[in-house]
Amino acid sequence: MKKERTADNSRPFKLAHQVVSLTGISFQRKSIIGMVELTIVPLRDTLRLIHLNAKQCRIYKVCLNESYEAPFQYFDPFLDISQGDDRQRSLEFFSNLHLAAAQKVDPDNNAGELLVQIPPDAAHLVEEGKNLRVGIEFSLEQPQGGVHFVVPNCPGTLAERGAHMYTYSYENSSRLWFPCVDSFAEPCTWKLEFTVDDAMTAVSCGDLVEVVYTPDMRKKTFHYVLNLPACAPNIALAVGPFEIFVDPYMHEVTHFCLPQLLPSLKVSAKYMHEAFEFYEETLSNRYPYSCYKQVFVDEIDEDINAYATMSILNTNLLHSTAIIDQVYITKKAMAQAVAEQFFGCFISMQNWSDTWLPKGISTYLTGLYAKKCFGNNEYREWIQSELREVVKYEERFGGIILDPSQPPAPLPVTANTPAPTPRIPDPGFYFPIRNLHTMSPRYIEVLRKKAHLVIRMLEHRIGQELLLQVFNKQLSLATNAAQQKIDSGLWSHMLISTNVFTKAIFTVTGKDMAVFIDQWVRTGGHAKFTLSFVFNRKRNTVELEIRQDITHQKGIRKYVGPLLVNIQELDGTFKHTLQIEGTVAKADITCHSKSRRNKKKKIPLCTGEEVDMDLSAMDDSPVLWIRLDPDMTLMRAVQIEQPDYQWQYQLRHERDVTAQLEAIEALQNHSTPATRLALTDTIENEHCYYKVRLRAAHCLTKVANAMVATWAGPPAMLAIFRKLFGSASCRRIIKQNNFTNFQHYFLQKTIPVAMAGLRNAHGICPPEVLSFLMDLFKYNDNSKNRYSDNYYRAALIEALGATVTPVISIQLGTAITAESLSIDTKAILEEVTRHLNLEKLLPCYKYTVSVVCLKVIRTLQKFGHLPSNPLLFREYASYGQFIDVRIAALTALVDFTKVDGKWEDLEFLLDMAENDPHPGVRHRLVRLMVENPPFERAHKHRLDKPELVNRIWNLINCMLSHDPKLRCDLVDLYYTLYGTKMPLCIPIPELAMLTKPKKVVPLPCSNNDELLIPMSHIKSEPINEPDINNVSVNKRKASPIKEESGISNVPEHGAEVKRQKQHHDDQRTNCNIDGKTKSEYYSDNSASLPGILGTGGPVGFEPGMFKKEPDDAKTKGDATNKPKKKKKDKKKHKHKHKHKHDHKHGKDKDKKDKDKGKDKDKEKDKDKDKETKDKEKDKDRNNKEKDQSGLLKVKEETLSSASSSPSPDASTVMSEFNFP
Amino acid sequence: MDVQTSSTRRKILSHAICSILTECGFESCEKGALETLTEMLQSLLCEIGESARNYCELSGRTEILVADVLLALVNAGIRMDNMHLYGLRANRTLLPPLQQQTLTKQLNILQAGVKQNHPSHIPSHLPPLPDPHAYIRTPTHKQPVTEYEAIREKAATQKRDIERALTRFTAKTGKTHSLFLKDDNSMFPLIGCVPQFPSYLSALLPQDQIFDSDSDLEASPVKKKKEKEPENKSKDGNKEAGNNNQKDNVEQSEESNTQADVIDNPYLRPGKIPKNKLPHMSRANESGVLSF
Repeated sequence: MKKERTADNSRPFKLAHQVVSLTGISFQRKSIIGMVELTIVPLRDTLRLIHLNAKQCRIYKVCLNESYEAPFQYFDPFLDISQGDDRQRSLEFFSNLHLAAAQKVDPDNNAGELLVQIPPDAAHLVEEGKNLRVGIEFSLEQPQGGVHFVVPNCPGTLAERGAHMYTYSYENSSRLWFPCVDSFAEPCTWKLEFTVDDAMTAVSCGDLVEVVYTPDMRKKTFHYVLNLPACAPNIALAVGPFEIFVDPYMHEVTHFCLPQLLPSLKVSAKYMHEAFEFYEETLSNRYPYSCYKQVFVDEIDEDINAYATMSILNTNLLHSTAIIDQVYITKKAMAQAVAEQFFGCFISMQNWSDTWLPKGISTYLTGLYAKKCFGNNEYREWIQSELREVVKYEERFGGIILDPSQPPAPLPVTANTPAPTPRIPDPGFYFPIRNLHTMSPRYIEVLRKKAHLVIRMLEHRIGQELLLQVFNKQLSLATNAAQQKIDSGLWSHMLISTNVFTKAIFTVTGKDMAVFIDQWVRTGGHAKFTLSFVFNRKRNTVELEIRQDITHQKGIRKYVGPLLVNIQELDGTFKHTLQIEGTVAKADITCHSKSRRNKKKKIPLCTGEEVDMDLSAMDDSPVLWIRLDPDMTLMRAVQIEQPDYQWQYQLRHERDVTAQLEAIEALQNHSTPATRLALTDTIENEHCYYKVRLRAAHCLTKVANAMVATWAGPPAMLAIFRKLFGSASCRRIIKQNNFTNFQHYFLQKTIPVAMAGLRNAHGICPPEVLSFLMDLFKYNDNSKNRYSDNYYRAALIEALGATVTPVISIQLGTAITAESLSIDTKAILEEVTRHLNLEKLLPCYKYTVSVVCLKVIRTLQKFGHLPSNPLLFREYASYGQFIDVRIAALTALVDFTKVDGKWEDLEFLLDMAENDPHPGVRHRLVRLMVENPPFERAHKHRLDKPELVNRIWNLINCMLSHDPKLRCDLVDLYYTLYGTKMPLCIPIPELAMLTKPKKVVPLPCSNNDELLIPMSHIKSEPINEPDINNVSVNKRKASPIKEESGISNVPEHGAEVKRQKQHHDDQRTNCNIDGKTKSEYYSDNSASLPGILGTGGPVGFEPGMFKKEPDDAKTKGDATNKPKKKKKDKKKHKHKHKHKHDHKHGKDKDKKDKDKGKDKDKEKDKDKDKETKDKEKDKDRNNKEKDQSGLLKVKEETLSSASSSPSPDASTVMSEFNFP
Repeated sequence: MDVQTSSTRRKILSHAICSILTECGFESCEKGALETLTEMLQSLLCEIGESARNYCELSGRTEILVADVLLALVNAGIRMDNMHLYGLRANRTLLPPLQQQTLTKQLNILQAGVKQNHPSHIPSHLPPLPDPHAYIRTPTHKQPVTEYEAIREKAATQKRDIERALTRFTAKTGKTHSLFLKDDNSMFPLIGCVPQFPSYLSALLPQDQIFDSDSDLEASPVKKKKEKEPENKSKDGNKEAGNNNQKDNVEQSEESNTQADVIDNPYLRPGKIPKNKLPHMSRANESGVLSF
């Protein structure tokens, strides 16, 4: 068999072992110093180049076998994705470059940011065929991604404050904290050492072998060994003053939490062992590792991150015994983390494109566990909601292809259809789906769901038992392989891929699932069916028609194959498997039942039960209801057309919760008294699954509103609520809370919200509903309850918010004051303020009440009851508030910005998205803006400014090399705002020249330069530290006013250094600065490390410095700052490179500084020239340049850490670097 | 009481003196003179009474007879020839009858409930029974309202009032946010939010309610294990229910012991001291001791 090229054989070497030793982890400086040593087995004698992954690291030295020093290059294309070509601002243009950039460093492509050359004198090491040890010394200064330091800003020692750090990853991103082969396909064994403060604990992958104090007894070194091969993305670290809780049931399992949370940890982790037992039993395989650790940390983006032998979880998953709602989430999250130990960590994937397998399988296993814990109804409801979500996403954005690495096999010619050559229909995404780091995070989220559903589909095809045997086989193979040495070549058994998996299914079951895989894994999209039927009385048949009308819309494709139809008749449930071939499939199905002969007979259901039904609503057809693909065995959307009474029967009598939910959804459009009755009965039915009851309540709201003219009696659900929860002696007053019956608890939370949605004939909430709600507030008494009522109180406030309708009369010109509010509004506001205030004094669990209070305040603002005002939300959105509160406030701010936001508000949001210390907030905020964009695409809007384009473009282009997730979030935002084409607000350059009025930018007098030059040298020193500040200022860039100042700054380089913090507008200046700053950067730490050479020089190149100048710019020869600067940069860098040799060999930085001085002088001269020319330039040109400069702006941190110096294009530039 | 009665007595005596003086033709007199006369009259009467009782007791009686009084008068040297006449003189003034209400009124002030009469077996000369509340349980407060609705109403109002007062107070004493564009913040003051570090602590350790269920939770892992073990010997256990508790306790402690022994988790082990450090350390300690 021809060996296919996969990620695990793309490299000319194999990785056998890796040592990671981090010796200097400093919380004060947020820095890490360490070294790694990779033991590699060369596969070719000619191995001369080793590609490794490393980002934002500053690399001091690379050593081979500790004896030969190897030259190396560093290049990160993400530092300037568009490579200076900034004319195009469209996503279709960006996508290609984005993908190219990602592939240029993709380890699966035998590429990487760090290129180590084996010097000729060390070449014999390779030829000997022995293992080669590559040692790399590196440091990280204030890493912006991949590692997060949480240092609370409060008094006390670090440990008392709960300062901690951990690594977090977005798919494969271990390269952000140590140099490695950052591939899922390169497992190796590990030795990990971390030296941390005495009060801290370092938790990492593998077995903790020993903890040794340093000679000064102030620090401890934690030694970990991981003997089972694991790939680099599955390595993690968490350091903090953790409280340690050994699981009382399984002593190999250790839980860690932050100080003071131990009681909650004990509660939350109480049933963790059950998940282990369940998986071991289900997979009939032992847990592969010898230990498991779960660490709960703060400020983490995602709830769970699974790594080999450990998981890092969000501390906000912890809860006490008094909490109900969180338990479900936490339990599932922990179970998911454990499932990923089996598939994801222990079994990794052969290519990144196989990511659907570990994701799908682990989620599937979690689903099985959830089914055991929470029941089948919950499980089916979950599956249904996942399916819906996938369908919704695909219809909006395109069909998700789980494994895009290989096109589906062409259909065999023997097939009935005249097989056209299969072309992969372009899924039509605006982002490349061929690399993990370029995909939208939302896409990956939905991909996981789809993968889960596909695995579940497989379960239906081959049976659960056999599917589990397939898993078992994979695990056994991997376990066996893991015991072997690397020489055995068996480690590839620890990798799973679509092909391996398909083959394994075939081996175990004898079934060839290749077609299935092609259909559902290698092809995107889902089927969409519309079912209608007519009962033919004469022939006693049901004439079914299943149509697939739309097959060419986004995400939808034609389905061919069997399809199950369930028909519930009077005599029972009958299943019919129909073969679907065309877009319209018709079938005549003979009914088994004679219509309505035997009225009294009980009707058998699909479960075998027999029930009485009131058949009076039926006409003479014996069909009670029809379902299509009832077990969700396809990726499909289904629309069934049947009369309302059939939906009502389905709701009342079908036992499957998904059918009930479908019926409820359909009944929204049939507002009749019979529907009302069916819904009411469902809400009251104690045997009904609670989520169905909740959904029915919300549906009843809609039905009642549609029937408002004919509605008789008290508001809907009032009677039900009073019956269930009113006190015995006085129905009006609610009982004291008792949440021991969880179904009632959820009903009690939901019915008020549903009722609040009721509207009377005037379109406002009926007054009796409002007073009912007020009474609930008034009489709420939780003193005798075992459970906290925080979610209930939150629900009540949410209900208050739901009663609010737009204000009827607006007195124009008069400001809204507290006195001018209506009585109802006053009452609502009174409750809201009281609860919000009370939360300051007696906060409830996770501030659920505050969260909804903010939401309601925003609703009141939106509907004109309160003046729209972002200031309150800004306070709540600030760092230091609890995350949920912040998100709620940000949601309000995003909404505000959309409705009546000014540029300043949008800037506030962007600043936060760029600079917030909490990585999760940055991500969530951008997601919020994607969901609720500040303006609609292609609608004229005051916020639709070129500055915004520039700003986002600049971010995605070069500012977020360290954070692929945020970058892709912003790509989503860009798409939402502008689509894939050029943004409309960007003037076409040629036209702009003509139309725009000139505006001469006043320039600062050039003497400044002379004055400031000396300072630059002095001042440059301290600047290095506050990278963050620097970044934080970048945002200003986009505003027009700043822009001018930006331009005016350009010439004064001396000043620039000093003012770096204020104006960081220019990439050019950045370049210059970072040249200078670099030299200072390592000052403290580097001394302690051996082999650190004077300057940052040897480490690499500046981003964009070798960029080709845009031809037009050159030819025009205009005096734009840009091209000249670039030239200058180039020169400067050439200088640098000339000196590189010297630096390497231990020259100190003086020389470098001198060079810089020279450079600077030159620059100065040039600047002066430029300045004079600048004056003549039009404003629009300035603008244009601004854009360009914006484009060129490069991520500061990375630059100043001096490790990252991308050349624009590795291939073209390569020639310029001649290493000794 | 004594002071009161004596003052009443004195009042009557002074009344008597006054009337005699008026009979004698005086129209006014100095207060001091009147007091002196009253004092004299009082001591005379006391003296006579005293000596009359002495005579009475001398003759072996407990109740004084007229003869005793006469003897006393005679012994005091007072002539009684025309006393009778003097008593029946024409222009004598009659003192108003004594007002007893004043006394009883004063008693009534503190009376609670109706005083009970002496039961038949208690001689009437014994002091009257005190107020019934002194020896009988009497309702001193109103019967509490047991009506459910009213109670809930009251509790709700009370809770709300407390909350409102508390929040208003805090709002008035600290930084506030305003929902309105104007600064008038009196109607709906919002307490300003202060960033807290670490921000998760207050959210995960809620203070809005205190639940005491934590205790049973802590015990639960042990309990569960307990359950497992007694299952084997459940039959025995059921029989000797009395011993069970003790047994359990023993088991518990045993278990916790064994647990502590069994758990061999690397994170619980103490850190090792580096080899090169060991001797050095001890030396340092020694020197430290010595220097002290």
